[in-house]
Amino acid sequence: MSKLNYIKNTLKISSIFLILLQLSCVQDKKRENIIVASAGKIESLDPAQANTLRTLQILSALGDTLYKINKEGNLSPSLAKDLPKVSKNGLLIDIPLKENIFFHDGNNFNAEAMAFSLNRFREIGTLNYLLNDKIEDIEVKDKFLIRIKLKKPSSSLKSLLTSVNLTPVSPNSYSNYRDSFNNKNFVGTGPYYLESFNSSQQIIKPFKNYWGKKPLNKGIDFINYRNSSTLFGAIKTKEVDVLISNSIDDMQRLTLNRMVNKDQLKAGDGDPIEIGYITLKSNILPLENKKIREALSYSIDRELISQQVSFGTREPLRSIVPPQLHSKNFSPWPNYNPNIARSLLKKEGYCDTNILSIPLTFRSNVPADKLLALTWKDQIKRDLSDCIEITLNGVESTTVYKQLSEGAFEAVILDWTGAYPDPEAYLTPLLSCNKINNNSCLKGEAVFSGSFWGDNKVQELLEESEALEGEDRLKNLIKVEKLAAQGNAYIPIWLVNPKAWSLKDISQPEFSSNGLIILKNLKRE
Amino acid sequence: MLWIISSLVFILLRIAPGDPVDAILGTRANELARESLRIKLGLDKPLINQYIEYLNQLIHGNLGISLNTQEPVKVIISKALPASLELAIFSILIASLVGYLIGFLGAVKPESRIDFWGRIFGIGTYALPPFWAAMLIQIIFAVLLGWLPIGGRLPPGAIPPPPITGFLLLDSILDKNIETIFNSIKHLVLPSLTLGILLSGIFSRSLRLNLEEVLKKGYIEAAKSRGINYSRILVKHALPNTLLPILTITGLTISSLIGGALLIEITFSWPGIALGLQEAINQRDYPVVQGIVVIISSLVVMISIGIDIAIAYIDPRVSY
Repeated sequence: MSKLNYIKNTLKISSIFLILLQLSCVQDKKRENIIVASAGKIESLDPAQANTLRTLQILSALGDTLYKINKEGNLSPSLAKDLPKVSKNGLLIDIPLKENIFFHDGNNFNAEAMAFSLNRFREIGTLNYLLNDKIEDIEVKDKFLIRIKLKKPSSSLKSLLTSVNLTPVSPNSYSNYRDSFNNKNFVGTGPYYLESFNSSQQIIKPFKNYWGKKPLNKGIDFINYRNSSTLFGAIKTKEVDVLISNSIDDMQRLTLNRMVNKDQLKAGDGDPIEIGYITLKSNILPLENKKIREALSYSIDRELISQQVSFGTREPLRSIVPPQLHSKNFSPWPNYNPNIARSLLKKEGYCDTNILSIPLTFRSNVPADKLLALTWKDQIKRDLSDCIEITLNGVESTTVYKQLSEGAFEAVILDWTGAYPDPEAYLTPLLSCNKINNNSCLKGEAVFSGSFWGDNKVQELLEESEALEGEDRLKNLIKVEKLAAQGNAYIPIWLVNPKAWSLKDISQPEFSSNGLIILKNLKRE
Repeated sequence: MLWIISSLVFILLRIAPGDPVDAILGTRANELARESLRIKLGLDKPLINQYIEYLNQLIHGNLGISLNTQEPVKVIISKALPASLELAIFSILIASLVGYLIGFLGAVKPESRIDFWGRIFGIGTYALPPFWAAMLIQIIFAVLLGWLPIGGRLPPGAIPPPPITGFLLLDSILDKNIETIFNSIKHLVLPSLTLGILLSGIFSRSLRLNLEEVLKKGYIEAAKSRGINYSRILVKHALPNTLLPILTITGLTISSLIGGALLIEITFSWPGIALGLQEAINQRDYPVVQGIVVIISSLVVMISIGIDIAIAYIDPRVSY
């Protein structure tokens, strides 16, 4: 009897396994579209509202910009016919536009459409202050010529015109959305049109009347998973074809890189656009003392932190501008040297009995920040325990951003991605200040960034650089960075490269200068 | 009760640090841009006016508009709630089936091998951290064995059925689309199994303890001494008397799942209400947070009332 039961049970279990095996063996239909996965939801496809990398990624495939930055780092026309012509006083910029370009709704792209899109962004764009601070007016001079009137000369505006946020939209399709967001649709001029949209999946298909190089694939399914492990599992199980790295944990990033080395995956790297740094609040003692900030700058072992936190995948950084945006390699911040740090602190009366206590805040919902904070704390304990003590404080990121300008944090770990590939997009948001008193910023970007550090010379150079072009401008901005390094209100830590992995039968992902994958170049091999 | 909850949520959200304007514009926006957005969103008005307006809208069944996406909160909830409910229903079914079966067998044969392993299972599943268990199950069944999909409600690229009820499985059945039915079941298995197994521990332990207690009662002994068949004693006399605490526990579990199982939803990228709530809190999207909390509270109140009515119906000693 018991033998019979045993056989019955074995048969039952076997049948369950067989069903599961059967389920697993069901062949998926051969995919036509390429499936690209990234983290987080996409709530809106309106370029006036887009402010996350994942939204900009899909918009870059649906729309075109007036200009692009080429591989040499120079401005090259895209929807524009030629480079912008700047008047002698630097206040007028004329942009000729290409002809015979169509929107996805069949309407013609022209100066009216471009002006409509720029004005719409100036009116409702969440980042409209980027334009409104610089632009006085936008005029349609001819059917294919627009003129931008500036409030003051601005050489950085040209780089700003490469921003995906300024991609033109069809005035006809957006006539009801002049002053409101069109979240679930997008009608632009890009190589793809939007076939379907929901917050966790977007499908785009090649646009037949596209004016430029046609996509090499039959369409892209853009899917959004919520966490790093699911994204990692999805590419490992070949559920997706391409994985974008914006939210992959460093441990999983390492495993993916190992798979690349074993020839199981392909990987593509973009130029780094995100910097990680520590902001020191410089308007209150003890960090008001420049020598103490300098000592802290010497105390940080970036190599060790990079290894411990990211297994070396985040490149140590000693400048606040990604290196590819300078004409040459330039690292003005000091190298790790605990002996110099100790002697500086001793001169200021610290060490031995008087230990400098630094409360370091990190964003509790950013895993890399926590690891950075823990590693620096341990490293200080190892190298400078007689002089410095670091106490950690985890705060949710939304609260950090809110309280940053209120001066709530003495030292806080943050990151920054420039809105466009230009040194100015990094220097101005961190250093610009409208009202300075004794190297303390009372009003301006430096207040919003939490450093409260201001320097009249920096301000002067930043303003000067707006009227300069080319090499002269870069030299000027390098001077700005040198002064910032001497001020030590920020300690740059690392650079984060945008990275993507693809399956073996998909081409290697390529990146544009603004850190976005060029989706139209992806193809099945 | 609902008024207290909605007022508390309103106040707590305003007290909490963080600003929806920051979440939308980022911290770099200039004061002019921030102020104009604040006016546009109605955040410039005095708090008391905002509160009165909120209550007025709530009374009229209007949950407001998301500050972030400008989408009606009702629409946001109607998309996310069915996903959470679908997951909750299947998880409860699995938990009841597994948990009550193990608990029943343990109580019927106390101190036996099945009772011993049942108790280990009960304590183990209760003690397991959900995120860890979920990730482990995901790695084993989705990544290593590749039997089931890693997350989401449908495979990437699949076109969902026309939304009739919002319940994907039900909509697929109504759409008579075999492929979507199969895919939605496949995607539902792993998250609901994980959640179901994690919950089954509570069910098995509560049934075992209650049933064991009932089986020691005098009327059971009396029934045995009258020579009534043991199975009949169990079904007719013991089980009905354990039903009351079990019903209460099941009701409480369902109530807790109405608000979504956040860790399971995050791990399996399940687009449910808990995930929506978490994102809305991160973005300080006041109307969405308020709307979700009010709807969840209403459902919990309704379930509690339903359970109380069921108890009163089953147990003649309880009257209201």
